[in-house]
Amino acid sequence: MTRLSLITALSGILISTSLAADPPIKIGVLEDQSGDFALATICKVHGIQLAADEINAKGGIAGRPIQLIIYDTQSDNTRYQEFMRRVLQKDKADVVFAGFSSASREAYRPIVDQLHGLCFYNNQYEGGVCDANMIVTGAVPEQQFSTLIPWMMEKYGKKVYTIAANYNFGQISAEWVRNIVKQNGGEMVGEEFIPLGVSQFSQTIKNIQAAKPDFVVTLLVGTAQSSYYEQARAGGLELPMASSVNVGQGYEHKRFKPPTLANMYVTTNYIEEIDTPESKDFVKRWRAKFPNEPYINQEGENSYLAVYLYKEMVEKANGSTKIPDIRKAIATGGISFDAPEGKVTIDPKSQHMSHTIYLAKVNDDHSISFPKIWPDIKPYWLGEAGADLTKSNPHTQYTPSDPPKKAE
Amino acid sequence: MDIASAIFGFLYQIGDAAAFLVLASAGLAVVFGMMGVINMAHGEFIMFGAYGTAMAVRAGLPLPLAIAAGSLATGVIGVIIERLVICRLYGRPLDTIVATWGISLIFSQGTLILLGSSFPSAGTPLGSFTVGAYSYSWYRLILMLAAIVLLVGLWLLVNRTRFGILARATIQMPQMAEALGVKTRVVYSLTFGLGAALAGLTGGLYAPTMTMVPTMGSTFILEAFVTVVVGGADVFLGTAPAAGALGITKAIFTSWQGQLTGQIALLVAVILVIRLLPRGLSGWILKERS
Amino acid sequence: MSRLREFFSRINGPQTFGSGPRFWIPLGVLLLIAYVFPLFSDDYTIGNVAYFFTWLFMAAGLCLMWGYGGTLSFGQTAFFGIGGYTYGIVTLNFGADNGVTIYALVASVLLGAIVATLLGYFLFYGRINGVFLGIVTLAVSILLERFMAQTAGPQWRIGEARLNGFNGMNGMPALTIPWPGGDISLPAGAGFYYVILSILLIVYFGIRILVNSRFGNILVAIRENPQRAEMLGYDVRRFQLGAFVIGSALASLSGVFYTCWGQYITPSSMSLTSAALPIVWVAIGGRGDITASLLGALLTLAVFQTLTVNGAQYALIMMGVLLLVNVLTAPEGLILQLFRFRFKLSPRSQ
Repeated sequence: MTRLSLITALSGILISTSLAADPPIKIGVLEDQSGDFALATICKVHGIQLAADEINAKGGIAGRPIQLIIYDTQSDNTRYQEFMRRVLQKDKADVVFAGFSSASREAYRPIVDQLHGLCFYNNQYEGGVCDANMIVTGAVPEQQFSTLIPWMMEKYGKKVYTIAANYNFGQISAEWVRNIVKQNGGEMVGEEFIPLGVSQFSQTIKNIQAAKPDFVVTLLVGTAQSSYYEQARAGGLELPMASSVNVGQGYEHKRFKPPTLANMYVTTNYIEEIDTPESKDFVKRWRAKFPNEPYINQEGENSYLAVYLYKEMVEKANGSTKIPDIRKAIATGGISFDAPEGKVTIDPKSQHMSHTIYLAKVNDDHSISFPKIWPDIKPYWLGEAGADLTKSNPHTQYTPSDPPKKAE
Repeated sequence: MDIASAIFGFLYQIGDAAAFLVLASAGLAVVFGMMGVINMAHGEFIMFGAYGTAMAVRAGLPLPLAIAAGSLATGVIGVIIERLVICRLYGRPLDTIVATWGISLIFSQGTLILLGSSFPSAGTPLGSFTVGAYSYSWYRLILMLAAIVLLVGLWLLVNRTRFGILARATIQMPQMAEALGVKTRVVYSLTFGLGAALAGLTGGLYAPTMTMVPTMGSTFILEAFVTVVVGGADVFLGTAPAAGALGITKAIFTSWQGQLTGQIALLVAVILVIRLLPRGLSGWILKERS
Repeated sequence: MSRLREFFSRINGPQTFGSGPRFWIPLGVLLLIAYVFPLFSDDYTIGNVAYFFTWLFMAAGLCLMWGYGGTLSFGQTAFFGIGGYTYGIVTLNFGADNGVTIYALVASVLLGAIVATLLGYFLFYGRINGVFLGIVTLAVSILLERFMAQTAGPQWRIGEARLNGFNGMNGMPALTIPWPGGDISLPAGAGFYYVILSILLIVYFGIRILVNSRFGNILVAIRENPQRAEMLGYDVRRFQLGAFVIGSALASLSGVFYTCWGQYITPSSMSLTSAALPIVWVAIGGRGDITASLLGALLTLAVFQTLTVNGAQYALIMMGVLLLVNVLTAPEGLILQLFRFRFKLSPRSQ
């Protein structure tokens, strides 16, 4: 890790000397490279490094090279607070790419607001962050569930059982599932919330069997909870499963033995197996730089495209990295990029991103097929609920049960 | 038939929860109960057993042998750790917290660096069977059986073998034992190694059912500690009935109100038991006897 | 007047290190540097040192309970959480004007003390000691963490303040001092730094006086041999409870200051990992002495952070090695060992 960032720094320095000594654009990177979350987040750093190398090779952002300042936040919220302060006040980064868990984002957001920084959150999450200092490229529930749940209900039936991690992300996602199931005339036959860190699911498996659903929505977070899949299969549970978070983030289909995850359907904006020419080329370039990468997940691709989006923003703002100029560029609605997943655009009202949503099906041998693709799903919820960052900046996170209060 | 299957289902859940507690705490009970060492690296020993088993399976060994191999490897690591660090900390239980915390950091981060953030799982063998309207996993029954065999085997080892007698003597009256010619240094090392091997066994047994990541031990550690402390100093009079009682509590509350309630009930039970029986279950049982 | 003199003379005494100019002059210089350095430093360093200071109250409380009283409590993080959340709830409901943040601070510490009294009564009057006490306090910490982590739904609110579960509570105002010309808000910066440094010094001297007084002497006697203390007629439980309440209230103060610094509090502050950290800091410094504990905790925090910044993935390994080395070579604490060496004092019978 240190070696790679050293190489990036050195190549940055070499290219910067050849670019007539323009001051570099500093991108701070705060990601968990050790601790509980490292499994899903190590490739976020790699995605950023890949993008930075490619952009620097082509001349940098508005002629200035990218310099990465990388900190390991050790899956610890207090480290996010410490290093966000450090990267903004001491290192004077122009922009920061930070955070995996929603808790870490909410920990550093007050500091970003206080120090007037600009931060990209490149992770899927429960939605609702309405803060002018934040740009969110991660997928949100309206993008993942409004596509997944109706499709599953049409294919398998209307009785749904949800098991979700028992915290904000799991509870809000479960709320989205509940609402969509009701809207489509279905029935929630059960809902179970599992505390984080739990790894034993015998009772849950029994409850699911008792409820007899047509399919199970699994919103499990963390490596301990993903043990569910192994135990469910061993316990004889063979129902189809639907998820917005597993496989796409934690590549369970590579880690568990087939056919544990067979018949699992996941909506994700990117996974390695996507076979469009852009995606294949992206994977080739990635593996050329990082041959030992276990898997390229959706967060890795989000982080990669986020660097290019930032480049778009700065160049549309005539080379300025000041936040008011960047926000003006975003407000035109024209910040887009042809990402490995497809074309993505930043929505000015919420500063979230549209996505191409792929429905990935895990087959019996754990290979992936794509029964359906939804191009250009916009992050419509915040805008429809009344939030508009071009007009006001509430610096807060809304939820479906705590929406923005509509102006009279 | 319905009542029978309901009873079976209920017993299965209790057995599953109690087996988890027994297996999680057995190694810690030996190390803490017998030696007074608070081993914060217990979770890492479990992880080593799991990783060792998974690697052995990948190398082609059948699962039972792989589990034995993982357990043995962890035991050896335990002996090494005892020689290097633990032997200087006897009689200083609170210092063992700091030392073993340091060891746990080194182990889990070292595994992350050397083996990456995850390891492919071995897959649960044996499939499922049905009773009444539900299907169950054969392997979970094996885990329950393993917990019972473990307790019986440990009892035989401690009470009926030469090593067991030497270990008990050394731990209860080290100077006397040494005066009688027992190599206490070796006994300590082997006992700690036994505790580590038991933790490794737990890791190996659970490896086919779980995600394999360097931090996988953390899901066992809290339950292990509370079971050992509620049980008190004696492994058999304490840890086993503690695991049983706490397992029943957890199973009942989990089936009634879900996993969170089960966890909270477990912690509340721990607080209550310690309040009522300040020397733990075994302390109370021993007092009752005398 | 003489009573006041007697009170302040307790700053030096048998339970604390250093009593002559050889100790006080270097310490005085250190304090001077602490007060003056913000003038020469940048915002980041000031805010970072203030951040370290927020944890020192918890370390001081643990030193009192464990180092002097012999009670190892894993519950410091529980009180940390109680302090932080109470501050958040009060200020989110009542704002920051009219000195509400100061009332919130006092209320949080008081609530921590009340809960500590109840829990301590349960523990000490139930004759729970040693490792059993550690486990019960750990269970309380984790219970609080698990419970708070699932309070994400909208129904979990106290007045205007949503508890917000695992994501944590943010948006509370910083410490705000009411002032005739306009309230002075103190987010993490020089103003906050001076406030926390001053309060830290008050706590430090307060603990020195406390442990050198009758209360402290009896506490140490209880640590050394509880039965003997009881034979001599002291109600052991009362003194242990007193130390526990003060120590836990200090942990609540830590929680309040942390929340003021970062405008954020989360259940993860009460996890198993977080519960073990104060013990590690105090153990490295030397739990037997308040000066050693505080300096050691500060040093450990700074070293761990520096390792994380510069060591990439090896930081955690180096921290582990540091802990091992500390325990094996300087079991009474690195700083304490240093003091003994420096002041050439004979080892105290522990």
